[in-house]
Amino acid sequence: MAAAGSAEAALQVAEALETIVSRCLGPEGRQVLCTKPTGEVLLSRDGGRLLGALHLEHPAARLVVAYVSSHLRKTGDGAKTFVVFLCHLLRGLHAMTDGEQDSLASKHMQTHRRRWKNCCRWKLISQSLLTFQTHRLDYIVDRYLSRHFGSIFSSSTKERTLCRSSLESLLAAYFGGRVGRNNCDFMSRLTCDYFFKCMACERGSEEVLDLVDDYFVELSAGVTGLPVSDSRITPGLVLPRDFSVYRPADGDIRIVIVTETVQPLFSTSGSEFILHSEAQFQTSQFWIIERTKAIMKHLQSQNIKLLLSSVKQPDSVIYYAGLAGISVVECLSPEEVSLIQRITGLSPLALPHASSQDEICNTVLVKFCKPLTFRSKRYVHLGVISTSSFIPHYVVLCGPVQGLVEQHRDALHGAFKMLRQLLKDLDLNYLIQTSDQNHTSSPLVYNESDPLPEVDNGSIQRPRQDTVLRNKSKPAKTQTYSDLVVPSVELETCIPCSAPKVTPTGTYQTDETLRCFSPTKTRINGDNEPFIESNSANSTAENTRREISYENLQITKIPGKGNLLPVREKSLEIYAPQGHCFSTIPAGCVLPVGGNFEILLHYYLLHYAKKCQQSEETTVSMIIANALLGVPKILYKSKKGNCSFPQIYVRTLHALQTHQPMVSSQTGLESVAGKYQLLTSVLQCLTKILTIDLVINIKRQPQEIYDQDSEEEV
Amino acid sequence: MSRLEAKKPSLCKSEPLTSERVRATLCVLKGILTSSYGPSGRLKQVHSSFGGCVCTTSQSSALLSNLPVTHPILKILTTSMQNHVSCFRDCGLFMAILCCNLIENVQRTGLTPTTVTKLNQHLLSLCTSYLKSESCGCRILVDFSSPQTLLCLVRSIITSKPACMLTREERDHLSALILRAFLLTIPENTKDRLILGNSIIVPLKGQRVLDSCVLPGILIEMSEIQLMKILPIKKSEAFKVALFCASLSGDLSDTGEGTVVVTYGVSLENAVLEQLLSLGRQLVSDHVDLVVCQKVIHPSLKQFLSMHRVIAIDRVGVALMEPLSKVTGTQPIGSISSISPSSYGSVKDLCPAKFGFKHFLHLIPYEATICSLLLCNRNDTAWDELKLTCQTALHVLQLTIKEPCVLLGGGCTETHLAAYIRHKTCNEPESILKDDGFTQTELQLSTEAFCSALESVAGSLEHDGGEILTDMKYGHFWSAHAEAPSIVNWPDLLSRCGCGLYNSQEELHWSFLKSTRHPFVPQTYLPHEATGSADNLTLDCFTAKLSGLQVAVETANLILDLSYVIEDKN
Repeated sequence: MAAAGSAEAALQVAEALETIVSRCLGPEGRQVLCTKPTGEVLLSRDGGRLLGALHLEHPAARLVVAYVSSHLRKTGDGAKTFVVFLCHLLRGLHAMTDGEQDSLASKHMQTHRRRWKNCCRWKLISQSLLTFQTHRLDYIVDRYLSRHFGSIFSSSTKERTLCRSSLESLLAAYFGGRVGRNNCDFMSRLTCDYFFKCMACERGSEEVLDLVDDYFVELSAGVTGLPVSDSRITPGLVLPRDFSVYRPADGDIRIVIVTETVQPLFSTSGSEFILHSEAQFQTSQFWIIERTKAIMKHLQSQNIKLLLSSVKQPDSVIYYAGLAGISVVECLSPEEVSLIQRITGLSPLALPHASSQDEICNTVLVKFCKPLTFRSKRYVHLGVISTSSFIPHYVVLCGPVQGLVEQHRDALHGAFKMLRQLLKDLDLNYLIQTSDQNHTSSPLVYNESDPLPEVDNGSIQRPRQDTVLRNKSKPAKTQTYSDLVVPSVELETCIPCSAPKVTPTGTYQTDETLRCFSPTKTRINGDNEPFIESNSANSTAENTRREISYENLQITKIPGKGNLLPVREKSLEIYAPQGHCFSTIPAGCVLPVGGNFEILLHYYLLHYAKKCQQSEETTVSMIIANALLGVPKILYKSKKGNCSFPQIYVRTLHALQTHQPMVSSQTGLESVAGKYQLLTSVLQCLTKILTIDLVINIKRQPQEIYDQDSEEEV
Repeated sequence: MSRLEAKKPSLCKSEPLTSERVRATLCVLKGILTSSYGPSGRLKQVHSSFGGCVCTTSQSSALLSNLPVTHPILKILTTSMQNHVSCFRDCGLFMAILCCNLIENVQRTGLTPTTVTKLNQHLLSLCTSYLKSESCGCRILVDFSSPQTLLCLVRSIITSKPACMLTREERDHLSALILRAFLLTIPENTKDRLILGNSIIVPLKGQRVLDSCVLPGILIEMSEIQLMKILPIKKSEAFKVALFCASLSGDLSDTGEGTVVVTYGVSLENAVLEQLLSLGRQLVSDHVDLVVCQKVIHPSLKQFLSMHRVIAIDRVGVALMEPLSKVTGTQPIGSISSISPSSYGSVKDLCPAKFGFKHFLHLIPYEATICSLLLCNRNDTAWDELKLTCQTALHVLQLTIKEPCVLLGGGCTETHLAAYIRHKTCNEPESILKDDGFTQTELQLSTEAFCSALESVAGSLEHDGGEILTDMKYGHFWSAHAEAPSIVNWPDLLSRCGCGLYNSQEELHWSFLKSTRHPFVPQTYLPHEATGSADNLTLDCFTAKLSGLQVAVETANLILDLSYVIEDKN
């Protein structure tokens, strides 16, 4: 299947997804019921889960889903906004290029050539989008947007303390997009309570969030058949199993963890036990029992009242433990063991030492240890004493059906992920241009008359633009530069071959070197070679993110002069004195919900577009700015009168122009860093969509890709 | 790997509730549920053409566990009900019918799901806070000094299950039995926490219901021959019991991950058997009278024990182990050598017993919270239904101990609650309207939907085409016979309200439940003498009903809020 207009196809797909997703977006969004092939039903408003449940087949859709899920892994939020935003961007691009397409169509051109042209054009657009994202967006966010940021930390004190009311409104807004409307307030209160109950001191918030996020499954349980309002938080840890033997104990309760059977076995793996006589068998069995008894006696003498085991213990161990007044809990999962270890610092008991009469050091105290019955199921309730800043609490989520309980559990986990992200700084870096006067504005012009070489487009080959840079004036200069725009840029010495061949590396060339390197006529040999797809997999996005600040080259294209070979002359431009600026979106930055981020950024992008001389940048920033409005439009769709979208929009813009404080109708807050990361993810996804020119359908199993290096090491 | 198939894309349907098919299936489900509701509900026979036993029932748990539903929305409704029933055992039909009614009524109003779900939540919180408040006019506090209230509660539960096929006399007998069984599970002296024991239901099919009885302790079923072997039991002051959870069959225990090499001529079986016999010798020398083993006892050991007049019972199964350890007051022994003398338990008496055609060994404890309920009924289907009913009743009694109050049954709670909500939203709408910006009309519409859903649950109790009414003072539920003359004198036709608290000779005014009427204040604060004197009330479990109400509204909200259904077709 040829996807000539991958952008058009992507637009169709994105529009279809948008209609589904937009109904679940925001506080007014509704629920979606997903059924699994196993017959389970699941309720969800989580965009990532919805997209997954659809099992999409269309290649463009698969690409979008892949990008969404990688974004979710990073931030845990924003899947629905991702789709809406992408759809609006594509729509904007489509509207912009529609006119040009007509003029193109009038030409007598072979279809594949036109397609190639399309690709070329899309690719240019994607390049400029990417350039914009990497160069300008950080700048705009840091320069203009940052003045509107609020913080969830209380500003009064010097030390960072989390403001409870801010946190509540942040969580309320988060749950507003994740769970049913009626449960949103309840869930955000529950989460807030949980967070503050778990936190021993103000400084430990990050540690608490890390722990809760990592061990969320072990710290929560779902119960069906009860109303949601019965959900509760209990102090201590709850293990979802019964005691193998329970001996009530008072006072100091010491616990140990074992990871193997306490009772010695006849033979361990790899060894052989030879039985010569029946008496020998009997004595060895006797010895085993006596030894088990001795270990239990020893544990008893050390005042140990509870034995936690990660494996199933034989009946006799449980019997003798019971006789020694020790309660036993078996079959702990590895995660539970590691959670207890992390909270208490308790390490598993090494059994061989246990029989020796010296002190067992691997024990800790617990406050209590008792059975807990919940909905006629039995649990073990442990009052673990924490050594870190995390005070363990257990959350029990109730709901009428499993699907709803799962949804709440996911949302709660997602909330902690989101908070964890929020309390981290997000780095921004960009260039500050001090003089960009010699900037030649070059609009997106396509060299239509340029005869292109006949490219044999085999089904598995695709045209690819390799940029060859030829330095005429200073041939001796070696030049290293980082590749930014084109996935793989190859430096090649051409006919007057004097400059050594340079391979693209990411090394940073100091400004001095480059500055002495005055803007000269540098020719870029745009050549198209049939290129086999194999090594093009290196992610453009990743490369560029790493090398944003090193980029010193701007390649602009001007129409070629009609050489024999399709050589286009480029002017290599170097921005004169430039400063790298490293900045951050500080931890805990928030903005009011309700499309505030989008409208603000929209405003500043338009503002930037007006100042900008480069028409290319202007267009790009206009497209992004307009696409940003898609989200608030949906959010305010159902509102009427004073709260309708145009009203809000006009009011906000007016407030911005007159430098008045903005008024927000809603009370919730949202994380700026999350939103910003979302924006960059969408732009990266878009550039990828635009650069793809051909989808190759294969009918075979996905094959395991082995890492060559690691295999050799083995 | 080669069998791996590509995933088919899922099917995505928008606005599932608007589809005609969904409405029709919901309607059918509602029909099934309403027609089974209450004491005069009709029975359902679940019939599978693939065979299996016949199931005749009117209970929600039995009905829906056998009924397969395919549509995801119905699945939500039925699983929600099943989850509720597995928690509370009671009020399953109430919950499901209320949920269906709510969905139906709300769709008729044409309000947006957003508004309706928010308003439903407000109305629900009005209900729960009223039911929990002191002033509630449909709640009775349980007086544990007299058994009357608890007996009424149990009788109401048994009466509401017509598939048990009981006569009035049998109902009374069973209610008393169940209450006795429950009282036997309450420990006599408790410290801080009350830990209830349990009643074991022993099946005895084919006998008369009136032959059912309750015995303290445990009945272990055995064949007549087995029983003959251990008779006569020598009498003693107390019987020493050894309770084993380890296998006494002489199998080898886990030998570890490595290999065990046995030299030719060495018989491990003999070695183990020798160990078992030495265990037997120890048991005899410790004067153990009864050996009970969860698993199998080796025949040689059995023989040895019976030679020394020790009763050996094996294969009692894991389910009986916990009650046995409670009755004997000991922990099960998990080892076959070096047994501590402290791990023997004791029972007060051992005696053979015969009920119907079954033989039992009866273990009578000194003081334990375990009792056995021998349950008889004429045939299998009716017995199954009766067993479920008994379990429900026992569970409801446990719930009532935790939350010592009951609700008026027979539809009176529903109509009373509806009257209260109507009055509340009509006279004090500000409390709901202030925060969310709803209009008065929206509130009125959704209140009507909510209240009429409650009232039609009460109305579903009447299956014989009679008139259903409510009075304008208490807001209770009244039903009249179908063959009523056209012009009637209501006080003569009606005798008592649904719960039996009020009779028609008071100066009351009635109104049809379906008709519109002015909101009125139902009388709150039940008079004390009314609750004390009445001995034939219909009562409902407070905890189960309250939770059923909450779950019903939450489930209905959930279903109404659905925007898409994505069906995975793989």
